[in-house]
Formats: sequence, structure tokens, C-alpha cells
Amino acid sequence: MALTDFRADALRCTRCSYCKWIPFDLVKSHRFAKGCPSIEAHGFHAYSAGGRLVTMLSLMDNRSEITDTVVDIAFKCQLCGNCDVACKLCRYDMEPLAALHELRAHLVEQGRAPESYGPIIERVRSGTGGKGYTPTERNAWAEGLGVKDLNTEKADVLFFPGCTYSLDENLRDTVRASVRVLLAAGVSVGVLPETGCCTGLAYHMGYRDDFTTGARRMLETWAWAGVATVVTPCADCYQTFKRLYPTVGGGIEVLHTLELVDRLIQNGRLKLTMPVPLTVTYHDPCHLGRQGEPYVPWEGVEKKIFGQAVVYDPPRPRYNGAQGIYEAPRNVLRAIPELRLVEMERNREAAWCCGAGGACREAYPEYSAWAASERIQEATATGADTLVTACSRCELNFTEAIAADSAALAVHDVLDLVLRATGEGGTSP
Amino acid sequence: MGEQPQELGRIIGPDRFSDDASDLAAYAADKSFAVANKPSLVVRPDTHDEVQHIVAWANDTVTALVPVSSGPPHFHGDTVPSVAGAVVVDLTNMKKILRIDRRNRMCVVEPGVTYAALQPALAEHGMRVTPPLLPRANKSVLASLLERQPTLIPRYNFHLPEPLRDCGVVWGNGEAMYTGEAGSGPLSLEDQWNAGLRQIDPKGPAQTDFFRLLTGAQGSMGIVTWASLKCELVPTVHKLTFVAAAELADLLPLVYRLNRVRLGDEVLVLDRAYLARLLGALGCGILAGELPPWTLIVGLGGREHLAAERVEVAENDARSIAEQVGLSLRLELCGASVSSVQAALSSCCKTPWKLAAKGGSADVFFLTTLDKAPGFIETARELAVSLGLTAADVGVYIQPQHQGVSHHVELSLPYDPSDAVEGARAQKFHDVAGERLIASGAYFSRPYGSWSHPVYRRDAASREALCKAKRIFDPLGIMNPGKLCFGALAVREEIH
Amino acid sequence: MTGPVTHVLPRKAYRALEDIVGAEHVSEDPAVLDTYAFQWLAEVVRPRQSPYMPRPAAVVMPASTEEVQAVVKLANTWGLKVKPHSTGWYHWSAPVKDEDPTLQLDLRRMGRLIEIDESNMYAVVEPYAIAAQVQAEALKLGLNLNIPGVGCSSSIVASACAYHGAGPSTYFMGGNAENVLGMEWVTPEGDILRTGSLGSGDGWFCSEGPGPSVRGICRGTLGSRGGLGVYTKCAIKLAPSFGPTTWEVGGTLPAYRLPVAETQRVYTLAVPTWNAWAEIYYKIYDNEIGYIFHRQFNLAGADLAPAFWLMYNDHTKTLSDVPALVDQPQIKELTEEMRISFQIILAGRSQADIELQDKILDAILAEVGGWKVERFCETDMAEFTNMYLQRLGHKHINFVWVGGYIGSWMQFGTPDWVEGYVPIAIAGLERDAKGGLLVQCGGDAMMGSGSGVPGGGATGLEQFVSYDPADLESTKAGIRHMEDAVKDATSHGFPPGKEFIYLQIGWTDEEIWEALRNSRQPVVYDFQRQIKEAFDPNNVGDRMYPTLPAARLAGEHGNGT
Repeated sequence: MALTDFRADALRCTRCSYCKWIPFDLVKSHRFAKGCPSIEAHGFHAYSAGGRLVTMLSLMDNRSEITDTVVDIAFKCQLCGNCDVACKLCRYDMEPLAALHELRAHLVEQGRAPESYGPIIERVRSGTGGKGYTPTERNAWAEGLGVKDLNTEKADVLFFPGCTYSLDENLRDTVRASVRVLLAAGVSVGVLPETGCCTGLAYHMGYRDDFTTGARRMLETWAWAGVATVVTPCADCYQTFKRLYPTVGGGIEVLHTLELVDRLIQNGRLKLTMPVPLTVTYHDPCHLGRQGEPYVPWEGVEKKIFGQAVVYDPPRPRYNGAQGIYEAPRNVLRAIPELRLVEMERNREAAWCCGAGGACREAYPEYSAWAASERIQEATATGADTLVTACSRCELNFTEAIAADSAALAVHDVLDLVLRATGEGGTSP
Repeated sequence: MGEQPQELGRIIGPDRFSDDASDLAAYAADKSFAVANKPSLVVRPDTHDEVQHIVAWANDTVTALVPVSSGPPHFHGDTVPSVAGAVVVDLTNMKKILRIDRRNRMCVVEPGVTYAALQPALAEHGMRVTPPLLPRANKSVLASLLERQPTLIPRYNFHLPEPLRDCGVVWGNGEAMYTGEAGSGPLSLEDQWNAGLRQIDPKGPAQTDFFRLLTGAQGSMGIVTWASLKCELVPTVHKLTFVAAAELADLLPLVYRLNRVRLGDEVLVLDRAYLARLLGALGCGILAGELPPWTLIVGLGGREHLAAERVEVAENDARSIAEQVGLSLRLELCGASVSSVQAALSSCCKTPWKLAAKGGSADVFFLTTLDKAPGFIETARELAVSLGLTAADVGVYIQPQHQGVSHHVELSLPYDPSDAVEGARAQKFHDVAGERLIASGAYFSRPYGSWSHPVYRRDAASREALCKAKRIFDPLGIMNPGKLCFGALAVREEIH
Repeated sequence: MTGPVTHVLPRKAYRALEDIVGAEHVSEDPAVLDTYAFQWLAEVVRPRQSPYMPRPAAVVMPASTEEVQAVVKLANTWGLKVKPHSTGWYHWSAPVKDEDPTLQLDLRRMGRLIEIDESNMYAVVEPYAIAAQVQAEALKLGLNLNIPGVGCSSSIVASACAYHGAGPSTYFMGGNAENVLGMEWVTPEGDILRTGSLGSGDGWFCSEGPGPSVRGICRGTLGSRGGLGVYTKCAIKLAPSFGPTTWEVGGTLPAYRLPVAETQRVYTLAVPTWNAWAEIYYKIYDNEIGYIFHRQFNLAGADLAPAFWLMYNDHTKTLSDVPALVDQPQIKELTEEMRISFQIILAGRSQADIELQDKILDAILAEVGGWKVERFCETDMAEFTNMYLQRLGHKHINFVWVGGYIGSWMQFGTPDWVEGYVPIAIAGLERDAKGGLLVQCGGDAMMGSGSGVPGGGATGLEQFVSYDPADLESTKAGIRHMEDAVKDATSHGFPPGKEFIYLQIGWTDEEIWEALRNSRQPVVYDFQRQIKEAFDPNNVGDRMYPTLPAARLAGEHGNGT
């Protein structure tokens, strides 16, 4: 792909600014109507999806050059996809999120990635993931759980925790809770201890070749190990496997742990019997929610009907957030006795990003923290005592924001509460 | 003077030009406290062209013009010249109803068309213009609307100038123009009508709401020679209802609620003094003491399909809303004649009803949000008492405007103008009440006479903006100088 | 491609801007500047159909009236133009002349909803408070507000003070010209002028006076579109909601749905002829029913609209599915059934009231031979229509076909008069779309408010003309259609519609002056010149506030009779 692939998108952008807001039909207040953290934090139109399309056009038209400001514009963005959802409310021919990815990839190819990206991508390339840990350290989380090693054994599913869950001690209980819940439901869980990062981060950073290399490597390993289903508690890995890997190869089933847990509850294999008397509000991770839609392979061309109306031949799949994974986590929460679920105003496809995405947590920590703080304020406004989510980086960003803001809100992964509800423990609120 | 008035005489013709002393005396004073000042001439044009010639002449000779559209008596001082040597342009001869259009519910009138003439003519087509409260028969409809006199039906009042729409105007600099939608059409009303245009939208043309510069202007920007007006349908079924209360505050929630849901045709609040005076002038001799301290009058009208059912539903809804705030909707008014009230809301009076009691009426009026009305009324009543009156001497009329966002509050003190003491006290009440109320936040959007100075002192930026506008539309300051924030001598000095 | 005209501010001026708003809120980076130069409709007015309007010299983002004032005063000092925008949707939001060094004021940091006075039914807002936000808060208090036709993503301040402000709810709620109350205006000289009661310190509630209304200078049919100072706050009259204080929005995107409240009704109505269309509008006006009243869905073109909207309501479908839908027999039937149709929402203050309104509507339909379009009145489509019209959050659908939309016709007048131009407009679009360079959706792609003046009386129908801004020939076809539409109108005795509002942006000063001089009343623009000279002596505002130089005002004045 190239910038020029999005020239038509840029020219067909109408500067309507829908990309800056949540779908308007869902606006419930003045305070929580915005959808794009990037423009909220940085102000200039350039920091919106529409603005970035123009930036791309301006570069293509040689009206501007890649300056530090252009780098700032391109990379201070969580790639959360709110813009994509909002734009596609009214358009069938625009792909703003894909364009944002393309802009990044272009700048990386031009050697203009942000300076802070260097160490991050190096860690991804080294196979030790964004955190830079060794394989042994990566697998310490699984100690004593009784998971199978898929190098030598068979299991129902491959459990893939992802770098953050594997390595962050603060999340240790959650990742272990994930597995314990599955085991409690009689699912045989396997791991592949040697595999490293899903390399989704590389893709989002604009390092496509690194992603492709890493994805191929992973898919080969899975094929060799006979993996048919991969389950992950990490929304980032989930989206990588579900939506990005198929562009390279694949054909395996990808489930978020909560999707599997939902199924297990529905078919009676998992019973939640212990009360968890909390009032919780659920944050939809971008990569599980609006970007968690099934991948549909497509190759085709633009064609016109009715004179000038743009369609695609064959019809192009439409990723507009309609089929994101919103209900499975909610079903699980509602199945927990005495737990009360209240919704934030911006939920499901309109969820405000936690701030961590698009490598912003690593590269622009202050900006990332600000976005998280915005979400904490929204969560607090619901009256909930607990914010729950289904993504490692969301959880970390929120935990840090709560501490920084001294907010009276606890943060948990849904799976923490599920484990408690099974009677097998889990963290206390 | 000399040749100049003769030139004017040649323009207008001898029949409609007068410098006769008794003629001029009729314009020298009015029922306000404006200092009497005789004009030098009065002219009575018949046509727009004559108006334009008059204005051109006035520019050539730098002569003040004072437009007058209604028959006497006048009440606010705006028709009394503020400078010597002014010429009154009496537009009462321009009294043609130029068009009545039932389908589009519009009419077009000249400035001399009165309520007494227009309403019956419209009634033949099942229409009327929403009236103010009991206008005098010779009151100019156009002048009433230009001066933003409050009209009785808040839900039709989408903005304060309603039902005024487009205008034909001769500005003070002599330029003639059509305002509003008419300004974008052929410059002949006949041609516009033939082309299917109906002068409906008052905005513009272009980026200026020219008509708004004419409203509230007391004739100081130009002379309007015709205006299009939106008409309402006369209800085929109409009923009056009344809500009595001991305190004004008791009525406020109901008034708010009715206006919120756009329920009712006429919606107005009168205290007993005002209502008694009004009814008394209509021949219904009821004492103020026999009336409730406060009365909310709500008219319910049904038009077109299912008119009777419409009124029935409205009445039930109004009753229900009243009950929710602890009030009762009644069909009678403590023995007062309902038909008299009906007459007050739908007819004209031959002689100004406010003068019936004592011959004079000192009226103080302003705009406010409803919640602040009681406080302002209290201020005025305290003043009245300090002047040796009683609070009950000052009648109160509250007219919701702009669909309930703003309210015209009118404080009316009858007095005997032949009694020097009463007259002085009434004037003091008028002037001091104005000052105090302005200072305490009452918005005098129509700053007549002594009110103009404190109003514009309070809003210097608007004053400056209006003076800039005045210099554009009336650079020589010939249009009714000395009114509002437009100096009498100052403007003239500037140009000399 | 020749490069853009670029203006580099003197460093002292730039640093002064940084001092006013903070360095992080000023930019002169070319890529940033281009995101302000790029505008919808630039391609129809700029040389070689460039998508860029002139590039500003800098973008400045003030946070307060005081900062706006300081920036404007700086512009006066340095001989710069000032071009403010709120949300900035329309090509006149950008600078209009390459040769003018212009400060683009992006007002997005001024987005407060300052207050809602519930009893007195008004809201006070800053420029970046958009209609969706204000409506959401108003609903909580049982109130609603007029959302202009451009949709709820628009700025209340912009529509009320600086542009037009009419929309589907104007009929009942008033347009924003009628609804605007006090305004706070930073004049081109950098003075602050507060209109009406606000200027007297008496609160926001009244826009008129004192004496003549100063607001008459601020806006007329249109506002100054950023060409005469900056509006930094206004109050806007609200309306009753007659519905729930919170909305339980359902449905699946993109077609969200709003359950119809007990005391409301949502209908798509159709009539057999255009004469019946005019009749029914008059009867709706006279019977005083209707809360939101608009011919909305026809924007997709009468030939395609039913298929399009049904496709839109199925999240598994895309535009690719429309051709097959169009050919289905039941859709063909539906297309004919709703060929002359419009949408109306009734709202009652009580159950008895809404039932009565329903009866009245039925009586009116019987009189004109009209009907309720059954499919669109079924629950799913009624709830979709309800959501669509109440929030007006899908106005970007104007561009759904291919990203380019321009509106022709929209002459404003009585229903009888508008009926007169309908067949001409239909024939014109059909003709101009024949070559395939415009979207072929039938000759009738007209949309318009039930009444653009509150209370009824005047309407207008705008042709929605879709072209591909990524295709030069298609873009040129769109421009040609606009020119053709003007000829079609004037040759049939109608004035031009809104075409010039779009096209004039690209004209030279001479061309504009010639058009103004030949207008019905050139004196209007002479007056505006004098207003500009009085309020903008240093010419800081641009020609979006149109004026006619004194030397051009020659020949006959447009005097009335």
C-alpha cells in the first residue's frame, strides 16, 4: 500500500468533523460527546482523521514536507477507530483508520518515526516483545497452573497472554485468573512458551515488515503445533490475531477469553455462584469492541454505479464497529451474582479510548495518561465503584490514571471478578 | 423658513400641507411627559413617492422630520418633536390595505391602516393580526408593530417583531428600499405578487436585518411606507378561562408551564387595578376590590379541523396543569363580564381606555424574565408608596412574549393631568421608576423619553453602534432627532 | 502543480500570537495550515478544481473572548485578515483570497455550554458547543432546540449569528435567527459588543433593542460567515421537548433508532401530485400540527431513496446492494408510492392532544388524497426516522454516494410558488446527470424544511447533486449543473437559488461587485459597505460580508415604488 491509495479518500473527505465525535445519536451530555482523544488533546484539525487525510494529501501534493509537526500529527493518535465508526455512519467509501495506518507506515518508511520508537521496535524485533524480557521471564506467570506445553502436548486451546499480561507483575493475578477460570470450566489450556510478541504493536507503529515477519513466524509455529483455536485475554493481541494475521495467513479461530467464558456460561460448563457485590462499569477496549469485528478477506476494485456512486467489485467488507465484541463481556458480567452493571455514556462502539493504543502509552506517556484520566472521570460519573475492562493495557493505563487523579475507583479485569464468582478466589475489590 | 416650506408644499400639494397653528398644536404634545414642542409644519403624504420626495427635501434643507402613523392621542413622546422647526409627516392618509391573502395568511398595509380598519377587513377572510391589548381604534397597526408593542398570543410570537414581516422604507438619507424577502424580488409589490412572491420572510436581504433597525426606532431611522404582516386564523371556537391568585408568585409556575407547552391563545396576567380599569373603560363597572388580586387570562382557540375538540382538549390540559400547581381554571371572573374581557382581547376602543379613569396614565414598561417580575413590581410599588400613593394605585399587566422567554411588564398609574400635583407625582413616578428599574436590571428595550439616558448610559457599546448605524441610514440626523441615543443638537452640530 | 501562496508572518507578530494564546495553540506548519485550507467545495471554486482554499498565514486557537479580542486587535495592528470558524464545515470557513494574509481562528477551545436557564428556556453557549451537546443537556430538562439543516454537528453560535439557522424543526421551534437572544460579538476592531438585554447587563434573554435592534447589523438572511468579527457567545431560545428526558437509543449502527414517545407520532406521508404537496403543506400550517417537518429522505433521490434507506437500515448491507434492491418488485412499488413524500413528527402535550392531532392529520390526508407510507411508518423505520430527525446526526449522508455534494435551487417561497419550480428542477437534474458524470438518482433529489420560517408559510426545495471530488470531470459536471440550474431558473422567471452562495466564493472581486450591482437592490450592499467601514475600518474581515464599493454603485438605484 501507499499514500496514494488513499488519495481518493482524502479528496472525498468533506471535513464534516464527524470523526472527532462519537456517533451523534449516542450523545447523552455535553461533557461526554467527544470521540477522538487526539484532537481533544492537541486541538488543531490536523489531529483528527479528516485532518490526517489532508496531511497525507498535502504531502502527496508536495505542498508540505515531513516536519516534526507532521510526525507529531501522525503518531499522537491511539488508532482507536472512533473516527472510523463515526465516519462510516454516513459513508460507505471511506476508510479513515486504514489511512491513519498508512500515514504511519509511510513515515516509518521515510525514516521519520518518532525518536521514542527506536527502543520499542527493537524489543519487538528481538522477539522479546515490547517489554524486553527473556522467554523464561515471559512464562513465569504460568507457574503451577497446570497448563499444557503445546510443543509436546495437545490442548483444546492455545492460551496466548500477550506481552503485557505475561510480564507485568501487576497483572499477574489477572492472567492467572483467566486460565483458572477456563480450567475450572474443564477447558484444557495449552501454551507455547517460546513464542514472543504478537507483533501487533509493530503494525500499529507503522513497521509493517516487522509485523509481517513476526506474524508469519507465529503462524508457522501454530501450524506446527496444530493450533486450531487461540484464546487471549489481551484485546490488543486479539485484534492482531483476528484482523491483522489473516492478511498474512492463518485460518484459526480467535477468541477473547471473555468470548469463551461467555460460551461456557451459556452452555452450563461454568457456573458463577459467589456474589460479587460491586457496582461496575465496563470499558470497551478498542481492539475488542469496535475493532474486534471478524475479518473478511477481500481483494477487489472500486467501481461506480448510478453514474458516480462508489461501490466495490466484489463488494468490500465493511468494518464499522457494528459487529464488535460488546455483548460477551456484558453477558459475563451480568451472570455474576449481585454485580450491578452501569454503563458509561460512551460505550460499545462509542467508547472513549483508554489512551494506551497506537503505542501512545510507550511513546507519549503524558498524552496517554491524559486520555485515561478522561475515561476515569467518565467512569466516576456513573457512580460505579469499579471500572472493569478486558485489555491489559487499558487496565494499566486506568490504574495509573486513578492513582494520579486519586480517584475513588478500583480497576479490574472482568476475569478477576469471574474468578471470584466461581468461588476460586481472585483479587479483592 | 420662507421658500423651503413652499417647496415642500409644491411636493405635497396644498391640501395636505399645513402650518396652521391649531393644526400644529395637535402634534406639539401628547399624553406623555415629553416637553411640548410645536412642529413648524405638518404634511400628509398619500404615497411612497411623496414620502421619498419629502425625505429628499428634508435632507436638502436639513430639516427634522417626525413621522406619525396613528391618530391622536399619542402616548410615548416619540411623536412630539424634540427640536425646533421640525416637520411632522403624518402618514394617516396612507391607509390602504394593499393586499389580503388568505391562502398564505399575509396582508400588506400602509402605515395609516388602523386596527379598526384592518381587523374587520381580515375577518372577512377568517383572519386577523394578533393584536395588542385593546388598542385604540385609530392606532396604526404598522406603528404598533414597529414599536414592538406586545401582542396577546405568546405562542405565535416566534420573535419579538412578529407578526411584522417585510417593509418598504425610505431611509433618513433618502434611499428607498424593500426589506426582507421583498428586497430580493422585483421592486414593485404588484410584480412580486404576480410572480407569486408574498413578502413572508422578514430577514435580510443579505447580512443585515434592516427591519430590525426600524423596530423600536421611534421613527429615527426612516419612514416605513408599507409592511407585510403575518395573519392568524380567527378561531371558530374560542373560550376564555381565568385563574385567580392572591399573589403573583402563585401564578408564575402556571404561566411558565402554559408557555412551555404552548398552550393557549391569549395568555396575560393582570392585577385587580389594571383589570378593573380595563373593564371599567369597556363599560363593565366592577370595582378592583371585587376582583382577585391577580388574574391570569387564558384564551383557548380552535381553528380549522376539529376546532371544538381542540378547545376541549386544551381546556382539559390547562385545567390539569393548573391543578398540578394548586390553582383552578374557571370560566367566570368573579362577576365581571366575560364578554367585556373578550372585547378587550379582540376589539379596539374608540377612545384610549387608559384615559377613561382620570384622563391621564403614567405607564412604565420593560421586558424581563418572568421570575424577576415580582421583584420589579415590588420596586415600583415601593416607589409609589413613597410618593404618597398606594401600591394598589399602580396597575400591573404582564404579557408573555417570545413564547415565554421574555415578558412585557407594564406598571400603569392613572392620574388627572389637570391636577398639577397629581401630574407632577405621576411624572416623578414615571421617571424615577424608570431609573430605579433600569438600575436594578429591568430591560427597557423601548427607551422612551427620560428612560433613554439611563438605558444608553448602561450600554455604551450599543449606543455607539446605533450611532454608527444612524450615521449610515440618516447621516444628517433629520429623522426625529433627539430620540433614543441620537442627540438633538449634537448630530446637527457634527454636520455643520 | 504550482505551490500554494504562502504568507509568513513577521516574527514579532507570530510571537505576539504565542503570547496571547500560548505557543501550543498557534501553528504555521504547512501541513497544519493545509488542514484548514482544505475544504469541501473548494474544488468547485478554486483554480483547476483544487481542493484547497487559500492557506492561512497561521492557525490560532483562542480559549476566551479576551484572547479573541487580543488576536483581533493584533490583526488590526499588523494588517492581517481574521477568519474565525467554529466547526468549520463549508469552504467559506477558510480564507477566501490567496493574496490576503489571514489568521484562521479555530474556536474549538471555546466549547462551553455556559448555562441552561430551564424556566426561561434558553441556553448560553460558546462557539464550539454543537447542537448535539446542547440538545442532550436540554432534553434532561424537558427542553429541546432547533437544529439547523446542516445537522447536530454544527455550532449553535455559527448558525445563529453567522450563517442561516433553519432546519426541520424551525417550523415549530423557530429558526436560529428567531431564536438567538443576546450575542457577544468581538467586532473587527476588537471591541466587544453585546446585543439586546445582554448589553444592558440585564441577562441573555432578549435580542432586541435597546431601541432599534443592534443585532440587525449582525445578521440578516445570512450572517457574515466569519467576515465581520467573531461571535464568542450567544444565548439561544429553547423549545419544549414533549418527550422523555433521556433517550433509549437502540438499533445497530449506522441506523440507530429512537422509540417514539407516547405523545408523539412519526410519519412518512405521501401525496399523489405536487399540487397536493403544496395543499397539504398549507393545511398543516393552518391546522397548526407538526413538531418536526421535513422532506428529508428524498436527498438520496426519489428513484433510489426507498432502496437506499432500507439498505441503510441493514448493517450487513452496503451501497453495492442498492441496485438489486431497486429492482425488487416491492421496492419498485414503494418507490412509486413515496415519490412525492416527506416526513413529519407530531408532538402532543398530552395523550388527548396527540390523538387529536392524529385525527386532524387523517382529515387533512383525506382532503388532499394523501396517505401514510406504510413501510416507513412501521416500527423499525418510524424509530429510525424519529432518531434521524430528532437528533439530525446523519447529515453527512448528504455525501453518501461519493463524497461530493452541492445544492442547487432552494429558492425560498410559498408552497404554491415552490411547486412552480419543481418540474424545472427535476428536468434539469435529470438532464445534467444523463452523461453519467453525476449520480443518477432520478431528477428529484430535493430536500427541504416543511417551513423555513417559524409557524409555517415558506419552504424551499434543494436539489442534492452528487459528484466525485476525486474525479475532475465529475467535479466539473457538478459546477456545470449549478450554472445550468441558474439558467433553468432564470429562464423560467425564477430567481437563482443557492448556487451563488457556493460559487461566488471563487469569483473575483470584480465579478462579485458586478453581481451585487446588478442585484435587485444594490443599495443593500452600499449600506453594508458603510457598516463595514464603520465597524471594520482596517478591513480585517473578508468578503464573506459582501459590500459594494461606492465607486461601483452606479446607474439606477433599486428604489421601491
